[in-house]
Amino acid sequence: MLCWAAPARAQHHHEADTDAASFAAGVAMVAAAFETMLYAGNYQGVIPSLRWANERFAAGASAAAYRLEENGATFYGFGDVIVHGQVTVIGDRAARAGVLASISAPTGDDRRGLGMGHVMLMPALFGIWAIDRVVLAATAGYSRAIGGSSAHEHGMWPLVEPMNVSEVTWSAGGGYAITPAVQVGARVSGGIPIGLPGDNRVIGSLRGAWASGRFQTAAELQAGIAGDPFIIRGVVSTALSF
Amino acid sequence: MRFLILLFVACGPSPTPTGTVCPDPDPLTLTWDNFGRDFMTRYCTWCHDSSLPRSQRNGAPLYHDFDTLEGVRLTPDHIDEQAGFGPNAENEFMPPGRCPTTKGGALDTNCPKPTAEERRNLAMWLACEKNREFMRDAGVDAQ
Repeated sequence: MLCWAAPARAQHHHEADTDAASFAAGVAMVAAAFETMLYAGNYQGVIPSLRWANERFAAGASAAAYRLEENGATFYGFGDVIVHGQVTVIGDRAARAGVLASISAPTGDDRRGLGMGHVMLMPALFGIWAIDRVVLAATAGYSRAIGGSSAHEHGMWPLVEPMNVSEVTWSAGGGYAITPAVQVGARVSGGIPIGLPGDNRVIGSLRGAWASGRFQTAAELQAGIAGDPFIIRGVVSTALSF
Repeated sequence: MRFLILLFVACGPSPTPTGTVCPDPDPLTLTWDNFGRDFMTRYCTWCHDSSLPRSQRNGAPLYHDFDTLEGVRLTPDHIDEQAGFGPNAENEFMPPGRCPTTKGGALDTNCPKPTAEERRNLAMWLACEKNREFMRDAGVDAQ
């Protein structure tokens, strides 16, 4: 079965890996247009990633490099590095639940909107249920900044992967296997600010994924439904499993 | 652990409030007319000008326009954290390295930089201007 989730990529929205594999190296390309209260523009990114998983555990890391155009200025730079880990606590391949966590390191330039400017902890719970050709997955978590940044105090930041300083995160989605090698799916995810000023964020996604030999490739079209994370964003990713 | 520490410090200094406090009573030695307007015109309004559309702002955020006193009053703390000198911080994030020679133009020249004294005066003026705004809101003519 194809992985419901793409290979680890620089996205803060939790996605639980739903399949076992050994090692995988991947790359994602992202392009988006955004318009917030203060900034409008677009960005493109290349996001290499590494991932390891077995039946119970998974871990991965990703780092992004961006071209960002904001209010008439163009910047090139790295985004925040993200490390991800997950463990299945109960269940089997058909239905399981567990804990996952991500942590981002502030390697991106927060003043230009490429990084948060602080460490971000993003733990969550996940559940996955496979029924014949259908896979359903959901996550719920809480993300919190460690340290502070003036740019982030007043709402979501950075421009490339915006989050609130303190927020409840959530996602829910499903996939349908058209064939053993081809899957389509849809997902909604978001963040709800807690305790500090922020914006409620909702993102909707449509996704297609296919496998060929050791390669898994996916294309995803995302729309910012609430909170101005972006207007529209496309993500194409591929990963080679070893 | 060493790697994590390196990541924490790799980003360098961040914008920090200068902690400048306006004397009480306000000496009124720094005002928009005798300091603020000239400072903003020389160093800021190449990009932070309300007449510039998004595409000509060279990255300056909307609603951060310093061609009027009213515009400055919207974001005094941000200005202080970006360009002010004071007891708690010496911020030199703005002006940036490159500036346009014409308002809203391409970044084709090195930005003129305020002196340390000008940056201290900026922080002091902003601190006093915030108090004056409070006084005005309270119905007291501070000037």
